[in-house]
Amino acid sequence: MSIEENKEYTPKIIVFACNWCTYAAADLAGLNHLEYPASVRIIRTPCSGRMDPNLVLRAFNRGADGVLLSG
Amino acid sequence: MKRRVGVFVCECGTNIASVVDTEKVAAAAKNMPGVIFATNYKYMCSDPGQELIKNAIKEHGLQQVVVASCSPRMHEKTFRKAVEDGGLNPYMFEMANIREQNSWVHKDREEATQKAEDLVRMAVSKVLKHKPLKIATIPITKRALVIGGGIAGMQTALDIAEAGHKVLLVEKEASIGGKMSQIDKTFPTMDCAA
Amino acid sequence: MVAVAQHPNIQLMTMAEVVNVDGYIGNFKVTIKKRAKYVDWDLCTGCGTCMEKCPTKKIPDAFEMEMGQTTAVRFLYPQAVPGKPFIDAEHCTKLLNGKCGVCEKVCPTKAIRYDDKDEIVTEDIGAIVMATGYDLFEWEKAYGEYGYGMYPDVVTSLHFERLSSSSGPTGGKIQRPSDGKIPDSVAFIKCVGSRDDTKGKSYCSRACCMYTAKHAYQLKDKHPDSDAYVFYMDVRATGKGYEEFYMRSQKAGAKYIRGRVSKIYPKGDKLVLKTEDTLLSKPMEVEVDMVVLATAMVPAEGAKDLAKIVGFTTDKDGFFQEAHPKLQPVETFSAGVYLAGTCQGPKDIPDTVAQASAAAVKVLGLFAKNELATEPMISEVDYNKCSGCEFCVPICPYKAISIKQLAERYHGQQINRRVADINPSLCQGCGACLPACRTTAITLKGFTDEQLVAEVDALCL
Ligand SMILES: Cc1cc2nc3c(=O)[nH]c(=O)nc-3n(C[C@H](O)[C@H](O)[C@H](O)COP(=O)(O)OP(=O)(O)OC[C@H]3O[C@@H](n4cnc5c(N)ncnc54)[C@H](O)[C@@H]3O)c2cc1C
Ligand code: SF4
Ligand code: SF4
Ligand code: SF4
Repeated sequence: MSIEENKEYTPKIIVFACNWCTYAAADLAGLNHLEYPASVRIIRTPCSGRMDPNLVLRAFNRGADGVLLSG
Repeated sequence: MKRRVGVFVCECGTNIASVVDTEKVAAAAKNMPGVIFATNYKYMCSDPGQELIKNAIKEHGLQQVVVASCSPRMHEKTFRKAVEDGGLNPYMFEMANIREQNSWVHKDREEATQKAEDLVRMAVSKVLKHKPLKIATIPITKRALVIGGGIAGMQTALDIAEAGHKVLLVEKEASIGGKMSQIDKTFPTMDCAA
Repeated sequence: MVAVAQHPNIQLMTMAEVVNVDGYIGNFKVTIKKRAKYVDWDLCTGCGTCMEKCPTKKIPDAFEMEMGQTTAVRFLYPQAVPGKPFIDAEHCTKLLNGKCGVCEKVCPTKAIRYDDKDEIVTEDIGAIVMATGYDLFEWEKAYGEYGYGMYPDVVTSLHFERLSSSSGPTGGKIQRPSDGKIPDSVAFIKCVGSRDDTKGKSYCSRACCMYTAKHAYQLKDKHPDSDAYVFYMDVRATGKGYEEFYMRSQKAGAKYIRGRVSKIYPKGDKLVLKTEDTLLSKPMEVEVDMVVLATAMVPAEGAKDLAKIVGFTTDKDGFFQEAHPKLQPVETFSAGVYLAGTCQGPKDIPDTVAQASAAAVKVLGLFAKNELATEPMISEVDYNKCSGCEFCVPICPYKAISIKQLAERYHGQQINRRVADINPSLCQGCGACLPACRTTAITLKGFTDEQLVAEVDALCL
């Protein structure tokens, strides 16, 4: 994402979230309307064990500013 | 597999539509690679919503379906069923979570709409790589093994047996009963343990 | 107990242990070792003549916490279920050195079998419930300040249960082990081995606050002139009716003193306890006739090995690990294997029974189906890419990966190649094996590398 002049810099965060815990917790955050920045994008994984370091590198490579791996 | 994706954007009453411009998301979806049909609708999980999917599959010859709505943990099963009823393999389906992980946690309409588009694009890219999957079945031996014959094992065995199934209770000592057989009277009622 | 033995749907196998489990949910093959009993239970009527006549009578009785003696051929305890005796091979003189043979002669149904052998059986099983319970923490090895088990009148709460039981070695009179005296005063010490990181376990054993209140009450009830001192850190009486029960014990005269006992030493035929009353910030010494230790619950002996055999995990303390502490409290990470009672963690009888019924419901839910649909989003090995390195095998938390031989033709010759194979009924689709595979031979259907990369790209572009 390009940084637009008139907007404050908002880093693009990619989250790899385990379906059983973090993804469910993100849903729960939704249920409770707990606000967080819209620049956070969540990718569902079946388990954090599935995470390959290559995926993290891929995300950075493609311009992600931060990667959160949670499970 | 042909690339013929249909995208259905749910408004969830106002749950999604009040924050996300669903019409705009559907319009953007139309321009995504592989997408041949996109629309928005008030309640996708309702019967008419599911009919919409089934009809579109037939009418437009869809091969892949994306629903942008609530969490897949909520309605993935519902929509897989609709996709299957529409004549496709139920696994040629993907969901974009634009409620729990978008409209309910963001306020800025523009940002949320942009994010919804991104999430739909993500689901479309993924669904294009789906392959039909087969559900296999395995038989069940209806006989339970309970290991340990204390109060826990005895209660479990009795409950299963009472429901009409066979139970094998394996106990390492010469008698069942466990610790409770050594206990005199039990709190809080002080009735006898055995 | 009798209801269990008499139920037409329940088959009892006592003196038996599970030694191997193969297969998967709905289709387990369980191997069980039945230890030799030396008595043919089909013939035995449970008359007890053998036990009566057995001349080897001086065996310390483990059931009575070695406060009583028993015979070589015996019932585990008088009300044992099934009500049949076995011969204790470690003590029977006939089995040890061929001398005796009395029970064989006196048995009216000719049920004694000195040549009985251990037997191995294999059973077809659809679901497994673990209910192996707990043991008590071995305080003798850890608590030097309480005498390492050398003072006969420092005993555990389970000893106290036997002393107050009318079927116990004293017929229900609370007498101290050393000389049989009815104690004028008893000290109860809670949290021995519990909530004590340095010597024991970090956790609370959950039942001891209440059974100690029960013991103090029982002492006052049976011997109103005896003093009951309870040394505690906290009183945790959180169940229904529990606080009231604790109050009842105090009303009956139990004296609660807040403090850890730092030392016990003998003085004449008494025991002196050094402690501090932390509510008054005053050091104190108390002289008693007997000390009862409420020792921690620990997993049953062999629980860890059994978990390995069945194929699931234990927690940091060795209790069986539930799949989720709140949402899946009776399930394990192994499909078709459920948990009931204290094998999962310390608890009292009401909680144990509730959990046992919950485990039964999980089994019945499974048995309500005629067949199981397998989850198609599971992993698959591409044999062409697999190098047979076996890195993935130990990674799989569900023991789904095994190595198999693949017959192939190579330069016109028949060769066998080792490859990894994933059992679709065991694989839960977690994907943990994928990063372990150096040759990318494994794909997880529905979450392939290609798909995740496509998602990353779609979000980042
Ligand atoms: C002194 C004392 C007093 C207590 N008083 C009370 C009270 O008044 N009220 C109350 O609610 N709770 C009381 N409790 C707690 C109570 O004992 C437990 O909650 C209850 O007994 C737990 O039952 P369980 O079936 O889980 O375990 P257990 O009673 O330990 O039963 C486990 C069974 O499994 C068998 N086993 C173990 N390993 C294997 C194996 N590998 N293969 C086959 N079989 C195996 C054991 O032989 C045993 O029969 C007291 C506890 C103590 C220590
Ligand atoms: S043979 Fe063994 S069990 Fe039988 S009476 Fe003799 S000592 Fe007892
Ligand atoms: S239940 Fe009570 S006595 Fe037992 S460990 Fe917990 S606090 Fe201590
Ligand atoms: S996906 Fe998970 S469960 Fe399946 S084989 Fe791999 S590690 Fe085992």
